[in-house]
Amino acid sequence: MTEPLLSVRDLRVSYQVGRNFVHAVDGASFDIPRGSITGLVGESGCGKTTVARALTRVIADNATISGGQILFDGKDLAKIPEKEMNALRWRDIAFIPQSAMNSLDPVYTVEYQLGEVLRRRGGMDRKQARARSEELFDMVGIDRGRLTDYPHQFSGGMRQRVAIALALALDPKLIIADEPVTALDVIVQRQILDQLKELQTRLGLSVILVTHDISVVAYICDRTVVMYAGKVAESGTMQQTLTAPSHPYSMGLRNAFPDLQGAASGILTPIEGAPPNLANPPAGCRFRPRCPFALDLCGSEPPVIDVAPGHPVLCHRASESENLRIEAAKTETWMARA
Amino acid sequence: MPEVAAVKTSVSEAVVPEVAAPRRPNIIARFFRTLRLPVNDPFAVAGLVIYLIFIATAIFADSIATHDPTEILYTPSYDLAADLRPGQDGFLMGTTSLGRDVFSQLIHGSRSALLIGVTAAFMVALIGSIIGLVAGYFGRWVDAVLMRLADIAFGIPFLPFVIVLAAFLKPSIWNVVLAMALVLWRDTARVIRSQVLTLRTRGYVEAARVAGSSDFRIILRHIAPNILPLSFLYGSIAIGWAILTEASISFLGFGDPDSISWGYMLQDAFASQALAKQAYYWFVPPGVCIILVVSAGFFITRGYENILFPKLNR
Amino acid sequence: MSNFKAVGSRLLQLAFVLWAVVTILFLMFRLMPGNPMAAYIDPTFTLEQQQQLMAQFGLDKPLWQQYLIYLGNLLQGELGQSFRYRAPVGERIFELLPNTLILTFSSLIVAYAFGILAGAYLAWRRGSWVEQAAIPMVLTTRAMPEFWLGMVLLAIFSFSLGWFPAGGTRNPGAEYSGLLDLYTSRDFLAHLALPAATLAIYSQGLPLLLMRSNMLDVMKEDFVTMARIKGLSNWTVVVRHAARNALLPVMTSFAIAVGYQLQGNVVVESVFSWPGLGRELVNAVAASDYPLAQGAFLMIALVVIFMNLLADLLYAFLDPRISHA
Repeated sequence: MTEPLLSVRDLRVSYQVGRNFVHAVDGASFDIPRGSITGLVGESGCGKTTVARALTRVIADNATISGGQILFDGKDLAKIPEKEMNALRWRDIAFIPQSAMNSLDPVYTVEYQLGEVLRRRGGMDRKQARARSEELFDMVGIDRGRLTDYPHQFSGGMRQRVAIALALALDPKLIIADEPVTALDVIVQRQILDQLKELQTRLGLSVILVTHDISVVAYICDRTVVMYAGKVAESGTMQQTLTAPSHPYSMGLRNAFPDLQGAASGILTPIEGAPPNLANPPAGCRFRPRCPFALDLCGSEPPVIDVAPGHPVLCHRASESENLRIEAAKTETWMARA
Repeated sequence: MPEVAAVKTSVSEAVVPEVAAPRRPNIIARFFRTLRLPVNDPFAVAGLVIYLIFIATAIFADSIATHDPTEILYTPSYDLAADLRPGQDGFLMGTTSLGRDVFSQLIHGSRSALLIGVTAAFMVALIGSIIGLVAGYFGRWVDAVLMRLADIAFGIPFLPFVIVLAAFLKPSIWNVVLAMALVLWRDTARVIRSQVLTLRTRGYVEAARVAGSSDFRIILRHIAPNILPLSFLYGSIAIGWAILTEASISFLGFGDPDSISWGYMLQDAFASQALAKQAYYWFVPPGVCIILVVSAGFFITRGYENILFPKLNR
Repeated sequence: MSNFKAVGSRLLQLAFVLWAVVTILFLMFRLMPGNPMAAYIDPTFTLEQQQQLMAQFGLDKPLWQQYLIYLGNLLQGELGQSFRYRAPVGERIFELLPNTLILTFSSLIVAYAFGILAGAYLAWRRGSWVEQAAIPMVLTTRAMPEFWLGMVLLAIFSFSLGWFPAGGTRNPGAEYSGLLDLYTSRDFLAHLALPAATLAIYSQGLPLLLMRSNMLDVMKEDFVTMARIKGLSNWTVVVRHAARNALLPVMTSFAIAVGYQLQGNVVVESVFSWPGLGRELVNAVAASDYPLAQGAFLMIALVVIFMNLLADLLYAFLDPRISHA
């Protein structure tokens, strides 16, 4: 297998809240291979958006990348000077935001905003930018005539397509999509995801899809990184993480979501409880308070166990996963703790 | 591990759990919470100190003043004490062209400022809040009528209105209060109304209505306590407006000739060629007093704003 | 389509407010204590003149008829005769209006140019000592009586230093061939400097504080963050995106500020003997020249109301979310 496009090693990001530090990302490691869609999933507040934003190094005022490496194209994005990082932004790493409504500047036309990127960041002249904008609109299936419209004149789904066109503008090596369809209704969600998948296959894009919705991941992703409370619980292929997960949290997640195809494949079972407060996380395994399989041993820091090549799992009981999966499929297992 | 430089933006991810929704407010507790003094803001503290000095001066004006502010004074050598410089013949801040003591006038000026400021602010806040509350709560035609009234009030040029009113009525410091009550309620009313409109959709108001509480009870128990801070805020801003307006009116010669105010002093100085005489000791102090009192109001308001609208806190 | 409808209903509202203000003015001048006829008739006029005016304004008729005559006269632009000038009020007002507008606009343009730049700068330097010191200073300028600021400037720059003339619009004896000639002369500009500076210093606080708080809000918007993720330069992010959006309400406030400024002019024009509407209003009221006072009041109200409308329209025009709905 070729070298991954992006390799995150022991990434740490913390927020300063008052006098305290909240470690929103606390030692996350994962790889993003070329030419595939990797889903980054977890509940809200697990640090997935923080990871996504850390990759662009545009983070909140009170946030710091406090450790780890972000290896991209032979460079460590966590360390290169700001100037070098800025040169990479959008040309190599583009971003599709959750709400295109708020992410497009309301006072400029879409053409202006595409042109801004193409000319200022892509070095094109006005004419080239115009041609490229039309090409991009064709690619995402919007009528060229709507280039001169303002963002508020588009529907939610259309705006998300505009956001995709913007991300594709400079042929980036990596596209990070942060909850790109969360704000849309299910039918439009499917259309947008189909479009994204089609473009990804056709153009050979590498995409990180950040979402809390496991059915979205199941629908278009090739690989998955499951995050829990600032750490990566498990990562691997779809088969490894969703069909036959090895971390109890992934097992729980799978029970808690319907699939995008329509009806739920079984009864939905939520995971009881809430993610821990990251200002004061529990000792040992962070999933322990909610885990139906927790043992005394889980009070100590869990090891990363490679249950298969390219399938690391952060769990003391990873080797027993085959048995746990059978238990986890039963609703009672998750109810018992309530 | 060294910290890494990164571009910072203000958008932070919600990492910390949301603070629980505020409980339905208890009127009294809410009121005192509102009046909690913004002691951690140095400017607000400075404003409060200025206010205290200002109020104390107004109360004890008679004992602080060295002379009767309207008395025409003479020097020990029996000359008219006109246009004396500060310190000359024992006049702390000098005298006016008519031989009156500037310092005593300044001290007594705090009285009319306090009187006008507080009454006008009270009237504006009261009328504005009631109109805003009624318009916002009852909606429909009540709202339509009241808001058209506000449109009209916004169409009236305030200072010219006060001038005409003051010219037609007997000269009195109450003209300013009357004019403010007639016109300036508009700003408060609009803000309170929109606040009430949002409050009305809150769950607990809706619940009280479904439970059959009377309108009066809902307004009193659920809505009024929530808009009180805003009324208070607009009231404190109105104090400054009243003092400035009174000063302008007196300066233009439509004030009460029997009461000494800072505006009157400035008019007197201006008309007596104090500018050409370079009598800074005469016309600078009243202006500084007005600025101190009005900006004290701003500073205190700003302190309260931080409490009322925590969003601005950063 | 809906735009036209919105503008139409706004115009209707304008007409309504205008009518209401005109009516209030009528009632104020008619119901005031004393002889109601004094509102229109100078006792020093000849009996013949008095009778003519009585008829013109229907002062011998019942109040409601007077009101209708008053409205009719207004619609024809008939404001009556000034007692002091023995000339039509309308003429006098249109003579003074340019002076007032020049003073208002020149001071506001300076105030807005400065306020917008300084406000954006302070938003950018949020939390710095510059901002900590500047905000109370700006609040202090808002707490000043405008006329007092004018007095201080006058005492320093005119009486003490002698850099600027003390009042009026031109040196005594100076003759100009036309208005344009006058307004572009050094003489006129020297006379304009102090009153305009007074008003500008007072007015800059509004755009400054507004711009600053808008900037702080806009800087938190997603599209500003996105502009950074796009790797756009700091200048592009701050100016083209943040400032451009923050500017919208500030521009709107300009129209409203013109209305407020006209009211403030009343005192500042008096300090600098600036022959404008505000000073005329004060003098007319003081001299019991009621027709002139009423006319000046109406003119100021008209500008205030019109500017309120302009503010709304300007916002709709500048914000594509409304203009391209």
